[in-house]
Amino acid sequence: MEFVVISALNGISYGMLLFMVSAGLTLIFGMMGVINFAHAAFYMLGAYFGYAITLILGFWVGLVISPLIVAAIGVAMERLLLRPVAAHGHSHQILITFGAALIIGELVKVFFGAFSVPYQIPQELHFAAFTVFGTQYPFYRVLMGAVSLAMFAMLYGLLQWTRIGIIVRAAVRQPAMAEALGHNVPMVFTFVFAVGAWLAGVAGALGGAFFTTNPNLGLDLAVIVFVVVVVGGLGSIKGAFVASMLIGLISSFSVGFDTSLADLAGLFGLRAQAEAIGGLMVLKLSSIAASIPIIIMLIVLLLRPAGLMGERQ
Amino acid sequence: MRNLIYWAAALIGLAIMPWLVPASWVVVLSKMLIAALFALAFNLLSGQAGMLSFGHAAYFATGTFATLHLMQAAEAGLSVPTPLLPIAGMIAGLICGLVCGVFATMRSGVYFSMITLAIAELFYNLAPNMHDLFGGEGGISSFRLPWAGITFGTDMQVYYLVAGWTALATALLYYYTTTPFGRLTLALRENEQRVRFLGFNAYQSRILVFSVSAMLSGLAGGLLAVTNESANYVLFEIGSSANVVLDTFIGGSGVFLGPALGAVLLTGFSYTVSDATSLVLLYEGVLFILVMIYAPQGLGGALVALKGPILSGRWPKLVAPFAVVLTAAAGATVAFVFTVELLDRFFSTEHFGRMHDRQMLLPVEFANHQWHVLSPVTWGIPLLLAIASVGLFRIGIRRSKSTWSEVTR
Repeated sequence: MEFVVISALNGISYGMLLFMVSAGLTLIFGMMGVINFAHAAFYMLGAYFGYAITLILGFWVGLVISPLIVAAIGVAMERLLLRPVAAHGHSHQILITFGAALIIGELVKVFFGAFSVPYQIPQELHFAAFTVFGTQYPFYRVLMGAVSLAMFAMLYGLLQWTRIGIIVRAAVRQPAMAEALGHNVPMVFTFVFAVGAWLAGVAGALGGAFFTTNPNLGLDLAVIVFVVVVVGGLGSIKGAFVASMLIGLISSFSVGFDTSLADLAGLFGLRAQAEAIGGLMVLKLSSIAASIPIIIMLIVLLLRPAGLMGERQ
Repeated sequence: MRNLIYWAAALIGLAIMPWLVPASWVVVLSKMLIAALFALAFNLLSGQAGMLSFGHAAYFATGTFATLHLMQAAEAGLSVPTPLLPIAGMIAGLICGLVCGVFATMRSGVYFSMITLAIAELFYNLAPNMHDLFGGEGGISSFRLPWAGITFGTDMQVYYLVAGWTALATALLYYYTTTPFGRLTLALRENEQRVRFLGFNAYQSRILVFSVSAMLSGLAGGLLAVTNESANYVLFEIGSSANVVLDTFIGGSGVFLGPALGAVLLTGFSYTVSDATSLVLLYEGVLFILVMIYAPQGLGGALVALKGPILSGRWPKLVAPFAVVLTAAAGATVAFVFTVELLDRFFSTEHFGRMHDRQMLLPVEFANHQWHVLSPVTWGIPLLLAIASVGLFRIGIRRSKSTWSEVTR
């Protein structure tokens, strides 16, 4: 019971972090039709800038400034890299973001080294929020979840109830028509790109302190975020939310299970044969926890190819 | 007829290449050919069928491991002619491609790309855990057995084995493009809905194209196994998939041999430069972005496009603006490489450690010269060079574009 509750709480906070990153990605795709390979690199930059600024000006300053720097980099990338090749088609733009992700990864290695950096949560936040079943639950996880929820509420409010929000939604659905009505659609694109990058930067500054901060983040997280958007359906924020929660929860739960396919075969009395085959059959769930999201994606693809919430075409 | 002459010339070139390079470079030539074959197989899927795969290293590495297992079986007594070893890679690549293709081709466009990336990552995560198949940290190793009087012990003999298979596979790929199914592959890229309306089963066709591409990637992987005689799970990492994407699009995916050109150039670049710097991937990434923006058809495509002005005799007009662009690019390259290398050395752990010990800023050593961190010479020269080069570059690009449209009118 304790395991279930703790894993559920962990899963929810991890899922919220994933959602912050995938919300930006799904918005940018819905708007531009371009999947931004560098989006997870934005998360990584948020974590690294957070670390660097924390060293000089403290954690809270880092938390505020680092996402702004990442947003600026996002704007620069959109203007300098994506605009010039917009005429060549979507696959060209995807490739450019892929190149950008590679370059960002390498530059991070130049400045910060090829190994992880000691970005940690500040001492004043190192306390327990509450005690559940005798285990203390860290406050920082609650903070991450709360910030993500606040971001989601802010994003939703922005899109639903403000004038800018309605223009953004119109530009996402029918960019040509919105432009014909006189709105500055390229500016809207840049704005959405900046907001998406900013969200990823916040997630990075927050999450990097708790989880690890290393140069491979750009890639490792990219795969998980892509899995989230494939499962949830691109262009759908609700889908991204549901899928993030699903992936977060299943990842958290699977780390605690030492079962393998051989155990499953044991239910049918075939344990010895399964163990004799070895290889995939005796692989414990906990040791392949990193691959679970991908396997979920493959299963969802078999059952519901359009993703859980479908997507706008 | 003209094609046959080109093919014959290429074959002769392949045959005499190893005699023209220093002995230590013969193995690099083999690696170049393997990368070229991998890039050509990748382009079949990404360039011709329009299905951008970001995880193709999975099929390449599967081929490598399958071939190594066959080599180990040959060591243990199974009678396999050494030149036929890469066939194991082909078969493994084909099977892997069929299974993964069934999943990946369910979706199209960006979804497809993301799924291929995820599948490659899945392989990379599972591989270290499956010791029998992939050998864990140490990997699997074997050695080439002699066959029919050839020992396969020298780089030169291995090169001819690799070259033979590469030439055969390239010819097969070229023949593929002339078949009706090759045309269908192009149609899949152009308009999949129409392909369906024409009565074809688009899903099955896409699986087939995926499998052929994976099969030939597995062949390239098998050739790597024969060349290197060992492999470990690091082959599955996303860096390998990234390399083939860079190779293909820098070389040009619209031209048949474009990816091969890109692979040869980048492999050679990486071998030449990797002793002096650890930032090879950064330079390749920057080159990739520059090519995508300023030469979107790739270097190979640009060379093919030059054929028009050369044949019509109006190419001299292009010399001046192109020279300006190249000079500016050279200047910008020098400034960029200088700055990045200096930063890399300044921020390295050794240098930082030394500065921390001595509590002062220390100069950075680069190219046999001490560069002082706060000196205007260290920052001023590259900055001025960069500004001048970028300005000259933009002027040069504008002039080149207008001259080009004049010349190709």
